[in-house]
Amino acid sequence: MRSPFLIEIESLRYAYRKGGGKWILDGAHLKIRPDEYLLVCGASGSGKSTLCRTFNGLIPHFFGGSLQGDIRIAGIPAAEQSVDRLFATMGMVFQNPEAQLFNRTVEREIAFGLESIGLARSEIKRRIAEAATTAGIDTLLSKNPHELSGGEQQLVSIAAVLALHPQMIILDEPYANLDPFNLRRVRAALKEIHRNGTGIIISEHRLALTVADARRMVVLHQGRIVLDGTPEEVLKQGIERYGLESPLAVRIGRRMGMTPLPLDINSLKLKISSDKPLEPPASSALATPRTDVDEHVLTVDRICFHAGGRTLLRDISFTLAKGECLALVGANGAGKTTLLRHLNGLNRPSRGEVIVMNRPARELKVSQLARYVGVAFQNPNSQFFKLTVRDEIAVGAKALHCYDVSWTRELVGLFKLGPLLDRAPYRLSEGEKKRVAFAATLAARPAILAMDEPTAGQDMFFRRSLGLLLADLRQRGQAVLLITQDLSFAEEHAQRWLLLAQGEMVAEGSPGRVMGNQAAMQRAHLEPTDRFRLFGGEKN
Amino acid sequence: MIRKKTMENMLDPRTKLITAIFFTILVVTSRKLSWLLPEWAVLVAFVIFIGKGRAYARWLRLALPMALFFGAVTWWTADWKAGLTAALALLILISIFFVFFSTTTPEDLGNSLVKIGLPYPVAFVFSTSLQFVPMIGRKAGNVTDAQRSRGIPLEPGWSALRHYPAFLGPLLIQAFQLAEELAAAMEARGFGRPGRTFYKEYRMGPADWLTIAGSLLLLAACLVLRR
Repeated sequence: MRSPFLIEIESLRYAYRKGGGKWILDGAHLKIRPDEYLLVCGASGSGKSTLCRTFNGLIPHFFGGSLQGDIRIAGIPAAEQSVDRLFATMGMVFQNPEAQLFNRTVEREIAFGLESIGLARSEIKRRIAEAATTAGIDTLLSKNPHELSGGEQQLVSIAAVLALHPQMIILDEPYANLDPFNLRRVRAALKEIHRNGTGIIISEHRLALTVADARRMVVLHQGRIVLDGTPEEVLKQGIERYGLESPLAVRIGRRMGMTPLPLDINSLKLKISSDKPLEPPASSALATPRTDVDEHVLTVDRICFHAGGRTLLRDISFTLAKGECLALVGANGAGKTTLLRHLNGLNRPSRGEVIVMNRPARELKVSQLARYVGVAFQNPNSQFFKLTVRDEIAVGAKALHCYDVSWTRELVGLFKLGPLLDRAPYRLSEGEKKRVAFAATLAARPAILAMDEPTAGQDMFFRRSLGLLLADLRQRGQAVLLITQDLSFAEEHAQRWLLLAQGEMVAEGSPGRVMGNQAAMQRAHLEPTDRFRLFGGEKN
Repeated sequence: MIRKKTMENMLDPRTKLITAIFFTILVVTSRKLSWLLPEWAVLVAFVIFIGKGRAYARWLRLALPMALFFGAVTWWTADWKAGLTAALALLILISIFFVFFSTTTPEDLGNSLVKIGLPYPVAFVFSTSLQFVPMIGRKAGNVTDAQRSRGIPLEPGWSALRHYPAFLGPLLIQAFQLAEELAAAMEARGFGRPGRTFYKEYRMGPADWLTIAGSLLLLAACLVLRR
């Protein structure tokens, strides 16, 4: 009798060729039906991406390494099916859109896989139109994929596999770099695809976005499936011990003993009786007082920036005080990073003034400003070039002639880098790399620490430890500027927000005040956090 | 999707390549300014005709100093006339390159060459590597910005040479990572699977044969007349 399962994995162990013999998957069992909407979750390093790569034969055929146990796809052992036999059945969308879009136009990108399976021109044309319509990208066909927004790129990647009419689409962290607007588009497209009969497997750790869509959820921990069931069944058992954070609605529902558990805020709201008000969970930002508010380390005075015939920033003004954590929030393309580049001189304003430590930034070179404004960019791989973490942390401070051994030692303790000091920076996990980059930025003791999307792609462990670090740094008087679209993190750790949309500052104030400004939030294509939707915010 | 019938897609990429080769032969066999000048004029007229005048002007801003330098070296070793001829010849050669690549995508060129026997992986690597040049350029910019932001002087100039590991290290590591991710993504979309078809049709039509015959005749006539 034919098995009802499309994927059958039993006692699977896998180690990468250059992984030092470490079993990334260590005894995993999993059976997946073709029509499922499955959420695979787990903390960083739990083996999510590796598991996904076994579904379409990339493991073992492309990555090599050591494999033990059994993988069957459509009843046939994976070892007997090469990737080019499996790819049309098991469509795979990778985490990094820029590395999976390798054609000059969207149309050709979608056509590529169809050409691989040897379809006739007329059929390719028909399938391109069909996939583009389902993914909502039919107006983008003649565009270069590399010139699209992150969300559009993700939709192109989905359309490129959807056109193959796969039985299952596997997506590795598809929401990692998307703002709420693009995220909604991708989620809606995936729901539609699933409704049309294609199975979906999503690997993700931002659960608030995915649990309500999925029909089944498995939790991976140290290479094993430790929990398996409907999202409600799994979340009821508690996933925090595996480094995952349940959505706020689930945490509240669990605390109040609700059955069935509400998976999102809308279902929670329906269950709450109006006479029994909820108590908001504690917020570290509100608990930490703002210090030295009058001692400004940064003043941005009505700056404008024009480039390529476009106005990228318009009349932006704000101040940052010692010990304060200010969040610059906005969707992709709102101008956050452009504004950040003005603070350390990488861009100079067309009009207006940036004043750093009471000196006009225009009088200082980038290397001089680096003494005052430390910037930790989103991708730490752009800066690592030393052979050890120890040298990497010190190199900037040494170049600026302000290397201080005892301060560096303190930073190593603060960022828990002691065990990593002699390792090569680019061989660390993404979370560890970020910690090294933060320590390297702070080694020169800048008055302002600016972090560009520090939580992007990071799990709960990292977010919690970063939150604690920020609180610690602020107690020491460090001014921090968070550049982020992660509103939950910004809500918890920044006392003040600046909301940017299309290069303009559309709202300013406490997180509650900014999120309460519906017009500004809509203009910025952002949605209030779950916490705000439940408890509101102070309107001061 | 409706394709506009322009000069860019009226001719097969192979026709454009052959015509470009003929024109190159014409230029490298021209030893007098009086031959080179009309050749350049024809090329400029063609550039304006296909609506690429502005892009060509921008291109010239980069190409002209290179041609002048080459001319100056030739002048120094021979005479001014030879210098001027050499500069103009180089300028025309670079212009042929410009016209060819502004009317032919590497993808079209590669795929059409597959039709005459070039192995598909070779054609694909050629077109894809050109596609990723701007991305590597962006990554290089990000590396420079990240290093400058922490005080490592990577501003253009001689001092940057001293700090080249800070630039090259992260760039190379990221390029290798990108190459591995790209290879996995290509594999997962059936690259290398036998029996590939091509969505875009590459067919030599009457306009192609006429263009090739016309440019061959023109080349032969010029070579004969100059003897």
